[in-house]
Amino acid sequence: MSGTISVERSDKETVINIKGRFNFEMHSQFRTAYQEDTSKGQKGRKFVIDLSGTEYIDSSALGMLLLLREEAGTNESDIEIINAKPEIRKILETANFQRLFKIS
Amino acid sequence: MKILIVDDDRINSTILNRLLARDGHAVVISHDGVEGVEKFRRENPDLVLMDIRMPRMNGYEAARQIKRLAANRFVPIIFLTAVTDEESLALCIDAGGDDFLTKPFNRTILQAKIDAMERIRRLHGELRRQKETVERHQEQLQQEMEVGQHLFAKIVSAGNLLDAPCLKRWTSPMSVFNGDLLVAAYNPAGGLHIMLGDFTGHGLSAAVGAMPLAEIFYEMTAQGFSLSELVEAINAKLISVMPTRMFCAACLIEVDFRQQSLLVWNGGLPDVLVTDQTGRVVRRLVSNRLPLGVQALTREDRKMEIMEMRPEHRVFLFSDGLIEAPDPSGEMFGLDRLMAHFDGRTQTDQIFDTILSSLRNFRGGAVQTDDISLLEIDCSRAGEEPPGGMPRRSEKNLPPAPWEISFSFHAGTLKNVDPLPTVINAVMSIQAPTGHRERLYTILAELLSNALDHGLLGLDTEMKKTPTGFIEYYNLREERLAALESGFIQLKLMHEPVLSEVDGRRIGGAIHIRLDDSGPGFDYNKVRSSLEGNCGHGGRGIALIRSLCSELAYLGDGNQAEVVYRWMYE
Repeated sequence: MSGTISVERSDKETVINIKGRFNFEMHSQFRTAYQEDTSKGQKGRKFVIDLSGTEYIDSSALGMLLLLREEAGTNESDIEIINAKPEIRKILETANFQRLFKIS
Repeated sequence: MKILIVDDDRINSTILNRLLARDGHAVVISHDGVEGVEKFRRENPDLVLMDIRMPRMNGYEAARQIKRLAANRFVPIIFLTAVTDEESLALCIDAGGDDFLTKPFNRTILQAKIDAMERIRRLHGELRRQKETVERHQEQLQQEMEVGQHLFAKIVSAGNLLDAPCLKRWTSPMSVFNGDLLVAAYNPAGGLHIMLGDFTGHGLSAAVGAMPLAEIFYEMTAQGFSLSELVEAINAKLISVMPTRMFCAACLIEVDFRQQSLLVWNGGLPDVLVTDQTGRVVRRLVSNRLPLGVQALTREDRKMEIMEMRPEHRVFLFSDGLIEAPDPSGEMFGLDRLMAHFDGRTQTDQIFDTILSSLRNFRGGAVQTDDISLLEIDCSRAGEEPPGGMPRRSEKNLPPAPWEISFSFHAGTLKNVDPLPTVINAVMSIQAPTGHRERLYTILAELLSNALDHGLLGLDTEMKKTPTGFIEYYNLREERLAALESGFIQLKLMHEPVLSEVDGRRIGGAIHIRLDDSGPGFDYNKVRSSLEGNCGHGGRGIALIRSLCSELAYLGDGNQAEVVYRWMYE
């Protein structure tokens, strides 16, 4: 029912790829995916959330993005959401998340 | 382990006794079925070794009775048998036996079987304890849910005005607690505040946020705070109480019948749709703000959209649960199916019901996955009072006494704070005559907005005369207020008791209000003659103030106003 998450890490960047349904059931998976980086307190790391394989996103998932933003250091954090399908982009824009994240 | 041997063969039981004692078990011996059952009752053993053929009562019957006695507990019974034919063994199982041991006894097999039974017995005990724990928790949870439901219902529906004649609503929570919050209340000037909020997630955790939100909504609306001040206060509260991953997508609307306008603030809800008499969408109020509870609001974030309200308008708002409701195959209801009802072929007063019936047909027996809400505002009925009349706050009703208060507001305060709720709440906490808050509020609102809008901001009252002019006026007001650098408003209130002419008792009071502003004033004689009896758009509300007060006078250049308001015990 829920989706799967894969992570690719380089020196400066963490790419989190979410496939399938991005909903409340993904909470611990998503957290595990970024916490390896955020827990170190390292600044200036870039996070890329790749939604190319995401079919659905709910408000709990939006909440998880907010949590990532906070744990990565709110304003200094560099978080980019890429490859969102039009209907998912619409959900992100209805919540005006373009003000908090780079959406491209 | 305590083991009961039931066997009439004394040699057998002696051998067994010895074998078991050597392994450290406590042994109880009986020599027939009747004695076996009796000893089981008295000694409460953990395991039973049972012979089959015995005097008085055979092993099958004894096993049956023991199993009945042990009802909730697992007490393994191992039959001791010389025969191994299937029929006899089936009889043992029927009687409740758990295993067999064939004679002559082999010590290793005996030990293995007892160990195996002991493991099963432990497992069974563990399972039973867990089951009891789960049942206890479930009962506790049930009770807590009931308390929670009660609180939720009381707080969220306190003074809820969803039966206002212009509102039609439908809401379908997916669990006991609704994560969609729908509240409505009148402000003291008779404007209707409506809010639809959709919290992250659903169920109890979503509903928890609804409680502080509903309280703020009702309290601030009743005190006369504006919609943008509500947005500000709710946002601040949600940031302070909710975890980061939770927020509330919300739309707040004020229906102002007197000004024939709608104020809308949409943060994260789907487009609010406004239809005309053809049932087509003539305006969409899109979400242009972040949801509530995400981050502190800027001045820009607090701004409302204002639109002219016409009687033929109907306003539809809904939570995303409506668009995302799945059918049994998992397909979503979707925006297209919803928008099909706004094609001009559905009569406007039928749209609400046809949306609901097509949603019901679409969903079939599918499991609900989110809370769903739909609300309609019928603007032609915006002026109707709710059944039972306008709600009134019950005040303290303090005996009339002399007092005096004065306020002085300067530009720096006025551009950030609406002085009205502060003033009215100060008055009501000193002298609180029930039933007069609304009238005092209206008088002070008119006086203060005259002083601020015309005196300090230099706005032309003529602009307000048409609905489109009113919108321009509103926007210009926002702009000038943000840029306000100097000026002041002084307000002085003086109260004196009114005595009965018959017996001198205090039967009410008179509030003298004096208001000065730093503006250039206006020609009040001219305004008075041209606006006699007019209290529609604009007109400085002079006629309205006069209708509520016993005296009204403008002094100086027209930048000083004096008003006397009299009240009597009801």
